[in-house]
Amino acid sequence: MIELERVGYAYGGRTVLDELSFSMAPGEKTVLLGVNGSGKSTLLKILNGLIFPCRGRWRYKGREITARLLKDRDFSRTFRRQVVLLFQSPEAMIFNPTVFDEIAFGPRQLGLEDVDDRVRHWAGRVGVDAFLDRPPFDLSGGEKQKVCLAALLVLEPELLLLDEPTANLDPRSTGWLVDFLQDLPVTTLVTTHNLSLGAELGERTLVLSEEHRLIYDGRIDDLLGDREKLIEANLVHRHRHRHDGTEHRHYHVHQWK
Amino acid sequence: MSDRLMLLTYLAGVLLATSLHDLRVLGAGLLLTAALCGRALPRVLRRAVLAILLFNSVVTVSYVALSLWQGTFSPRYVLLVNLRVLLLATMTFLLAERFNPFRAFAFSPSLLFLTSLCYSQVLTLRRLFGEFRHAFRSRSIVRPGLRDLYRHGAATAAFFMRKSVSDAGEIARAMTSRGFFND
Repeated sequence: MIELERVGYAYGGRTVLDELSFSMAPGEKTVLLGVNGSGKSTLLKILNGLIFPCRGRWRYKGREITARLLKDRDFSRTFRRQVVLLFQSPEAMIFNPTVFDEIAFGPRQLGLEDVDDRVRHWAGRVGVDAFLDRPPFDLSGGEKQKVCLAALLVLEPELLLLDEPTANLDPRSTGWLVDFLQDLPVTTLVTTHNLSLGAELGERTLVLSEEHRLIYDGRIDDLLGDREKLIEANLVHRHRHRHDGTEHRHYHVHQWK
Repeated sequence: MSDRLMLLTYLAGVLLATSLHDLRVLGAGLLLTAALCGRALPRVLRRAVLAILLFNSVVTVSYVALSLWQGTFSPRYVLLVNLRVLLLATMTFLLAERFNPFRAFAFSPSLLFLTSLCYSQVLTLRRLFGEFRHAFRSRSIVRPGLRDLYRHGAATAAFFMRKSVSDAGEIARAMTSRGFFND
C-alpha cells in the first residue's frame, strides 16, 4: 500500500528526515516511535500529501505521490478520502458550528446521500453522539479528539495516520482508544514517543533516531529486548532509584498512565 | 545601518507617511523604499500587496460607491489612501526583512526580555497556524467552498484570539512568579 524509497526532508537548512525506506501492506498496524523532534509528524504529513520529500520518493498503491499528481482533481479526491490524518492538536481540525457538522463535513463534500446515518453511526462508535448539537470548541481535549476521529472514520478511509493520538487523552480514554484501534479494520500508522504505549498500538514498529534516520523496523517484542537500540533512540532513560535504602541508577521505561 | 537606527528611521517614516498628504511625497517615499529593498523588492512588494489587498479593496469599493451616490467622489482621495497604506506596508515588510529586534533592544534588559517573549509567542503561533492550514487542506476532499473558508477562518481567528489572551495571562503569572514586577 505504501512504499518509501530513501525519502529525505529538510526545512530551513535542517534535516528532518534522512534516507527513510520502508513499506506497509494493507491491514498492517504499525507504530512509529521516536523522541520529540525526530521527524514523526513530518513523516505523517508526507504520507498525507501535505508536504513532499526533498529527496527520494514514496508511492501509494503504486503511484508516486507528488504535488503535481495531487493537483489532479480526481486523484486528489480519491487520495484525500482514502488517506486521512488525525493531527496531534484537535483544535487544528475543528471549525464547524456543531459536532454533527464537523463529522458531516467530509461526506457532504463527497455529496453522499446517507450523511445523517453515517454521522450518527460514527458518533456512536466513538462515543460523542450525546454532543451532536453542541459546538465542538466547547468540548474537552479528549472529546475533541474523538470528534476528529469520527470526522475521519466517517469517510471509511483505507489508511489512517494518527499523530500522538493519546496526547490529549486521560488514562480511561487512552485505554478505550487502544481497544478501538485494535478492532478497526483499517491500515494504521500511529506515532508515539511512549514506548510502553507503543506495544499496545501495533505489532510492527518503526523507530526514528534523533538523527532522523530509521534505525529499527520489526516486531515490538524484539525491540523491547534490544537495549542498545532503545538507548540509541533515546526511548529509555536512567535516573536514581531508591530500593530498601539502597540507591542505584539503571535504564528503564515508565509505564503509561 | 545599525538595527536601532533602522528602527528609528522606520518610526520616523511611519510618522511622515501618516502626517503628509502630498501624493508626490508619498510616491517618492514608496520609490525610495523600493530602492532600499534591493533584490528583495519582489518579495517585499508581494507580501505588502497581499497583506493590504482585501482590506483596501473593501474600503476603496465602499468609498467609491458611497461617494458616487453622494456626488462627492474624489479620485485623489482613493489614490492617497491606497498609496499611504502601500507605503506603510512596504516599509514594515522591509523592516521585517532586515531588522533584528534583539540587537535593536539590546540597550534595555526589560525591552530585550519583552522582545524574547514576543518572539517566542510568534514562533509558537506561526507553527500552530501551519498546523491549522495543513489540517484544513488534509480534510478538504474537494476545493472548499466560500462557506467552509469563512467558517475555517472564523474558527482559526477565534482560537488564536483565545490562545493569545490565555498565553498572555499565563506569561504574566509566570513573570510575577519569577519576580519580574517586584520593582
